Amino acid sequence: MKDIVVALVGNPNVGKSALLNAISGAEVKVGNWPGVTVEKLEATFIYKNYKIHFVDLPGVYSLRNQTAEEKVTIDFLLKEKPDIILNVVDSTNLKRNLYLTVQLLELELPMVIALNIWDEAVEKGIVVDYEKMSKLLCVPVIPTSAKDKTGLNELLDKLIDVYENKKFVQCEHFETQIEEYLKKVINLVSEYQPILLDLFPKRYLAVSLLEGTLNEPITSSLEEKLKQIREEIKSLYKKDIKTVIVEERYGVVLSIYHQTVKKQREDVVDSSITLDKIFLHKYLGIPIFLLLVWIVFEITFKISSPYVEWLDKVLGVVSSWTLSLLDMANTPDMLKSFVAEGVLGGVGFVLVFVPVLFTLYIMIAILEGSGYISRAAFLMDRFFSSVGLSGKSFIPLLLGFGCNVPAVYATKTIENEREKILTTLMIPFMSCGARLTVFAFFVSVFFTSNKGLVIFSLYLIGIGVAVLVAVLLNKFYFKTKSQFFIMELPPYRLPTFKYVINTAWVRVKAFIVEAGTFIFAMSVLVWFLTNIPYGAKKDETILANVSKKVAVIFQPLGFGTWEATASLFSGFVAKEVVLSTMGNIYVGEKIQEEKKETSFTEGIKEIATGFIDANINLVKNFVSIFGFVKKEEEEFDKSLADAIRSAFNPASAYSFLVFLLLYTPCLATVFAIKQELNSYKWMFLSIAINFTAAWIVSFIVYNVVKDFL
Amino acid sequence: MKSLRDLKPGKKGKVAYITGCEDIKQKLYDLGIIPGETVEVLQDAPFGGPIKIKVHDYCLALRKKEASCIMVEEER
Ligand SMILES: Nc1nc2c(ncn2[C@@H]2O[C@H](COP(=O)(O)OP(=O)(O)O)[C@@H](O)[C@H]2O)c(=O)[nH]1
Ligand SMILES: [Mg+2]
Repeated sequence: MKDIVVALVGNPNVGKSALLNAISGAEVKVGNWPGVTVEKLEATFIYKNYKIHFVDLPGVYSLRNQTAEEKVTIDFLLKEKPDIILNVVDSTNLKRNLYLTVQLLELELPMVIALNIWDEAVEKGIVVDYEKMSKLLCVPVIPTSAKDKTGLNELLDKLIDVYENKKFVQCEHFETQIEEYLKKVINLVSEYQPILLDLFPKRYLAVSLLEGTLNEPITSSLEEKLKQIREEIKSLYKKDIKTVIVEERYGVVLSIYHQTVKKQREDVVDSSITLDKIFLHKYLGIPIFLLLVWIVFEITFKISSPYVEWLDKVLGVVSSWTLSLLDMANTPDMLKSFVAEGVLGGVGFVLVFVPVLFTLYIMIAILEGSGYISRAAFLMDRFFSSVGLSGKSFIPLLLGFGCNVPAVYATKTIENEREKILTTLMIPFMSCGARLTVFAFFVSVFFTSNKGLVIFSLYLIGIGVAVLVAVLLNKFYFKTKSQFFIMELPPYRLPTFKYVINTAWVRVKAFIVEAGTFIFAMSVLVWFLTNIPYGAKKDETILANVSKKVAVIFQPLGFGTWEATASLFSGFVAKEVVLSTMGNIYVGEKIQEEKKETSFTEGIKEIATGFIDANINLVKNFVSIFGFVKKEEEEFDKSLADAIRSAFNPASAYSFLVFLLLYTPCLATVFAIKQELNSYKWMFLSIAINFTAAWIVSFIVYNVVKDFL
Repeated sequence: MKSLRDLKPGKKGKVAYITGCEDIKQKLYDLGIIPGETVEVLQDAPFGGPIKIKVHDYCLALRKKEASCIMVEEER
């Protein structure tokens, strides 16, 4: 069996990923390109005794080596040298797509062109003479549709054919004069710095040297000669060299375009333009957007919650089985607790995110695949440009109010690296649902007369601090002077079911594997901290001892007790466990439902009925999105309320809440940041920024508030 | 001659040259906004947000600031 490496290259939104999904289906794996936040898709597919390894490169408009996407692409093509470039182009938008094709030809690698979205071209009456195009470009051209799955076998056959006959024919399609100059440059290189000829393909080398964009040191004597040639060209064409090259490329593109593309109907009404009249409407656009975003938010959290509850139930049953088994084997208590709370608890922490992430990824795939996400950026740009962000940050930030973890993963839709980092760092300040349960409890104890106002003030503090952090980072870390915003508004397309489900599943799988192991390991560690020495009193565990030492730093904030400190520690695992830890520490008894013995058949029954319930609840929640079903008020433990009342005063309670709002995000969020930004550096910085911000703001708040409350 | 920024939605213009914005000139070129090409302003966003233009066979969004760098000959 022979191995073939095929790199998919093309503009954004031309169906590279869809094509990969259509060809290899569930084999697709998702990861990250090293050192950048760009997503990497890969798939290995066996076809006719060949093992074809596809790599989906990020979408680019040119090979200019400026954006992160361009760097990844050009680096991969020059250094890894795939066996074949599969250039995916949008048949309905050939002028711009072929511009990249012409640049790819300069790399002198075997290439095949997929004229994708062929179905739509046919529908719009665009006729492309692809055989002639193939002759003009000196590269095989195959029409394909990732939607209808046409042309896929022809494409695979052609890839194998090109691989076996490894021939590359360079078309010299620039003006003769320019071609002469390119030859001259190559001669100069072999005279002054011949090593470059081993490092780069000839034509690419010649063009980039002329443009002065080569990413490699050049000897001064060569640079001297190049300068002369540039001057010559400038005086001959009355334009600078970069413009000349761009125009040459477009010249080639337009000549090929006019020879091969016929539009049967000029007057086709473009449905995308009509749809934009509604979605980008000056006054209706934003309300429609907010409505859609609200639906996305509700679906992400409400649709998944019955399954989260069900998973919880399954874990409960499994843990009771395990405990019975361990009982039978006369296992010591400590091991039992370790298995039930440490190990199974850890598995639970990972699993509860699966339903919510799966729904989120489905929503994202629909928003991205349909082309609407760019419209969102267009509409919200005005509001975000002042903090150095673009409109694409809106959806992730909003999701943060539900849960920070999916919010961080939602930053996948932001291409710009700086904007993505900033948004990700702002998300932990968005007060999530888990924090709200703690707020609600404290507020019902201390601020009964203006509950709503206090909670609202916390949300506002979070948003304010997030904006401040973004502004400061922009000014002092990124030192951004001016940013630009030029974005394609791709045509609206109906994403296929398979594309949506596959994309979502592939991403969830990556979460389970990567974040899963990390979160699991950490929760096992936490079990040790809170339970060792085993059987010790609650104020003698490792956690309690550490908390006693650390508590002093919270003295100026009004809550420098070891109990409060230990609760905050546990909030690092997940914010919702703060309350149960407090119950544990302040009241003594664990607030916990009684563990009942479950027999095997009972357990199975419980799991099954639970699943049916989950589906019923799904429907109920779906209905409640549109506001028909009322939620019951949550009830709080009375003894804990009394304990809290004597341990805090209103000022220190408020300060504690502010701290809880702003400090280190929970474990799962922390890991999500690492995975999404592909960097430990930003993960640690995020922890540090949050902790510092929390301390400072709580300090200020406590000192201002303590005289009033 | 006026800048693309001053073109009303629904109007077309032929790109004459790009001025200022040296850092984005290349980007505009790569996207097909080159001298001689026709661009059409389709829509603008509320509150002085970006504008939507059509060039070749596709649509682009850019901020007013970038649009003011693109000088066009208005078509009637
Ligand atoms: N009609 C049609 N739509 C397609 C085709 N290929 C992809 N799409 C859709 O185009 C959108 C963008 O595709 P995607 O694979 O994300 O593009 P990428 O950015 O190049 O990876 C998705 O909604 C796809 O379902 C095709 O051949 N025909
Ligand atoms: Mg893609």
